[in-house]
Amino acid sequence: MQGVTQRAPPSDRMVPGVEIAPGLFLTEALMDWGRPSPLIDTSFARWEAPVAHQRLLHFDTETTGLAGGTGTRAWMIGAADWLADGRFRLRQLTMTTMGAESAMLQTFARWLQSDTVLVSYNGKCYDSPLLKTRYRLARLPDPLTGLGHLDLLHPVRRHWKGVWENCRLATAERELLGVVREYDLPGSEAPAAWLSYLRGGSALNLRRVLAHNAQDLKSVAGVLLHMASLAASPCGDTKSCFDRPRIDVVCDCPNR
Amino acid sequence: MNALLDRYASDELVLRDPSDGRTLAQRLTKRYAARITGAFVVPGREGSFATLPDDLPPALAQALRSRGIDQLYSHQAEAWTATQSGAHVAIVTPTASGKSLCYTLPVITAAMTQHAKALYLFPTKALAQDQVAELLALNQAGNLGVKAFTFDGDTPGDARQAIRLHGDIVVSNPDMLHQAILPHHTKWAQFFENLRYVVIDEVHTYRGVFGSHVANVIRRLKRVCAFYGVAPQFILCSATIGNPKEHAEALIEDAVAAITESGAPTGDKHVLLWNPPVVNPDLGLRASARSQTNRIARLAIKSGMKTLVFAQSRTMVEVLTKYLKDVFDSDPRKPARIRAYRGGYLPKERRAAEREMRAGTIDGIVSTSALELGVDIGSLDVVVLNGYPGSVAATWQRFGRAGRRQQSALGVLVASSDPLDQYLVRHPEFFQGASPEHARIQPDQPLILLDHIRCAAFELPFIGDEMFGTEVATPWLDVLGEEGVLHREGDRWEWIADSYPAIVVSLRSVADGNFVVVDRTNGRQTIIAEVDYTAAPVTLYEGAIHMIQSVPYQVECLDWEGRKAYVTRTHVDYYTDAIDYTKLKVLDCFDTSNAGCGQAHHGEVHVVRRVPGYKKIRFYSHENIGFGQVNLPDQELHTTAVWWQLAQVVLDAAFEDRHQALDGFLGAAYALHIVATVAVMAEARDLQKSVGSGDGAWFVSADVTGRGQIRGTDGQPATLALDAPFTPTVYLYDAFPGGIGQSEPLFNRREDLVAQSMTLIERCDCRGGCPGCVGPVLAADEDAATTPKALALRVLALLVAL
Repeated sequence: MQGVTQRAPPSDRMVPGVEIAPGLFLTEALMDWGRPSPLIDTSFARWEAPVAHQRLLHFDTETTGLAGGTGTRAWMIGAADWLADGRFRLRQLTMTTMGAESAMLQTFARWLQSDTVLVSYNGKCYDSPLLKTRYRLARLPDPLTGLGHLDLLHPVRRHWKGVWENCRLATAERELLGVVREYDLPGSEAPAAWLSYLRGGSALNLRRVLAHNAQDLKSVAGVLLHMASLAASPCGDTKSCFDRPRIDVVCDCPNR
Repeated sequence: MNALLDRYASDELVLRDPSDGRTLAQRLTKRYAARITGAFVVPGREGSFATLPDDLPPALAQALRSRGIDQLYSHQAEAWTATQSGAHVAIVTPTASGKSLCYTLPVITAAMTQHAKALYLFPTKALAQDQVAELLALNQAGNLGVKAFTFDGDTPGDARQAIRLHGDIVVSNPDMLHQAILPHHTKWAQFFENLRYVVIDEVHTYRGVFGSHVANVIRRLKRVCAFYGVAPQFILCSATIGNPKEHAEALIEDAVAAITESGAPTGDKHVLLWNPPVVNPDLGLRASARSQTNRIARLAIKSGMKTLVFAQSRTMVEVLTKYLKDVFDSDPRKPARIRAYRGGYLPKERRAAEREMRAGTIDGIVSTSALELGVDIGSLDVVVLNGYPGSVAATWQRFGRAGRRQQSALGVLVASSDPLDQYLVRHPEFFQGASPEHARIQPDQPLILLDHIRCAAFELPFIGDEMFGTEVATPWLDVLGEEGVLHREGDRWEWIADSYPAIVVSLRSVADGNFVVVDRTNGRQTIIAEVDYTAAPVTLYEGAIHMIQSVPYQVECLDWEGRKAYVTRTHVDYYTDAIDYTKLKVLDCFDTSNAGCGQAHHGEVHVVRRVPGYKKIRFYSHENIGFGQVNLPDQELHTTAVWWQLAQVVLDAAFEDRHQALDGFLGAAYALHIVATVAVMAEARDLQKSVGSGDGAWFVSADVTGRGQIRGTDGQPATLALDAPFTPTVYLYDAFPGGIGQSEPLFNRREDLVAQSMTLIERCDCRGGCPGCVGPVLAADEDAATTPKALALRVLALLVAL
């Protein structure tokens, strides 16, 4: 368009999932991921009562930037939860037009129950206020206020600040879960990936962001289980007495 | 020794009995007749009162009574009636006439009865804090349950959430609204949904570039309010300006009911215009304003009168305070009688000074413009202005500080050597008769408008043919779309960039930012001054001697990109003078008319400003003792201008040679610039002058002696071929990219400007020319017919309307 972006071949405009509303795509996958006990010990977050695993909803957004304020939007919301049978369900909403935002926000709102407990990594300061702003701008009721929210960044910081080089999710997943990403598109590339798609460019990087987001959600769930088991462990020494779950090298390469 | 003699000499003037402004004015006039260029009296008036309105909530009426307010001034009662009718209201009354009650009553009433919210905007943080203190006191007196908070850059992050949710009255400033509140309006949703009143105080300060920005911030505020389904009522307050109603309406782009009659009682006010005596007639040098101000203040205080001195800079405040303290506070065991008041002091210190002034324990206070705005310091007898504040309106605001109900007050304006000051005191009739200046804004100035449409698009998407202010936003949105910050989908323009546009738009300065001067003497790293962008190339080039309060510093390194100049203290016997030239080229002529034998024009110009080098000039002897090279980028500017031209045949007949004509044009430009600056209430730096050829082939700058030197496009001295076309032109141009609307009013008043410039020059006491009329002139031994003064008059006479 206007020679800014090269028009990609039609195959490259492929956005994964089903178009559930004009411009809004939903992917859904079921997998085995972690083996949650029926009740998750949340004392690591200084919550007294444990939480039934079905109530937990892990979420993570991809946005148009970090500037904040009313001009930043989420163009993708990923959410993951454990079903009653223990399987891990991973859903992603991707908007391919601006007009799809309302439908995306409404769909996400339907995933939340009054007793849902949100789980995120830095979501209290970032994803949640950003979504609240979007609901407000779309003149929709905000479904997030009032829900419990476990933001894992803070407990992770309490445990490992000064021990690790930093407490970003990528570090936590490597240290705690042994996750190593290959062909991963860094989160900072997400705004450009979407913008370029929006302007008629290739969907390749958009798909890579989706894969990145899926891994983020799996890592958040993994870190949560790790923290819960840590709390349940009788021994204070985290390194030696914890049997670290080994996870195979994750490959996000879409070409395989 | 002189100072000592002076002290005794003036003692005879000290009034032995406690007295009033009239008596002191008479004594001064008698003793210093030669220095007083103008004296007049503004008659006082009786107070006009009204009962507390019946429809005030009883608890609020009770709170007012317990604070000693049993009745209202008539303007306060009028404001109540007007606000209750739902109109936007502008209140224009003098300093200390109880303006804040005009908005406090409706705002608190609405908060108590409807849980309605109010947003207050003040130009400074100190005023905002004062206002909150006043609201809290009233709230406490009546246990009204109204919560008021300041919200500014100092508000801690953890308090912000509570203020957004629970504040009934949020007191902030336009900059915070622009950068922190509007771009995060969803966090303020509850506040906006219940917003009933927007109070904007001191609106006379929102003029020029700043005012044009603020008007656009108000457009954005109204747009966000509309999103939340509210249309708040505006209450604006202004000190006296020439066009308060029009200005208030321009700011909020809606009709306002103006209340202009103050019901507060005042005594007579005597005003003296004071010009320090001439000490060197050849150079037009006068004694310093400082010494005169000091003398007048000393007399007033000794006569038992509460005195306020306004100085133009913080340093001058300190100097004058010291002089007065040397006289009145020599005994450290006694409580101080003299205090300084200025920005840069801690709030606690300022509060203490205000308290002591109100309590009457202080006899003399020396202040910057900080006290010009509505800080409450009680009643005073005498106000002395050390230098003209830059506008008639500001002068009256400062004089307004003096005045008691029963007694006459005195205001003295002491002129400095600045050309504007000299113009004013030599034209007392101008000052006396002048209605205060009009405040002007130009909210649709393209660069400013684009900045705010950008910010507005970030706050809410533009939809369809939405208007922004008076224009359809679409063409601007197309620009932003091409820039890639907006994305169009259907009829909606959505913000798409990863940026926060308000952060790069400053309301208070032009786009390019100020330079700071950093003193590195002996390893220090102290910021000692700030220089605005336009002045930087001619004052902060490497090698420049930069004088701060007559202490010389040498610029060692200029970081143009970083906006910093590093200087060290130095001891030299010369100063530096930039060879600065401005080249103008006319791009488009909007309007032309005859002006005497020549023509006046108004249009768009391209300005190039370059500083190729500088001269070193020895103090006192003014010998040129060397040159230096300067390597700075050209400053380019598209702007609007007004200009005058005379045809070659006319000039050939009127002048012996071309050089004389050029000298005349330079002097005329200097005088026109002074007069025009006064006429449009401009900051001197926002309006610039230049003399050059009509076709941009050459330009003229003043040399060391004050005579014109032709320079070519490369800035080098040049001579004109005898047969070359010769159409010298004097330009006055707007120093803001795109223009800020000063040149059109100047064009409309072109005949006036030329006539006033002639009067200015004719009435000047100097012989051949001085900084008060045609600019500094060195040679004093000239034939009277060819002095720069005479030549400038010849040019102006050719331009004066027939």
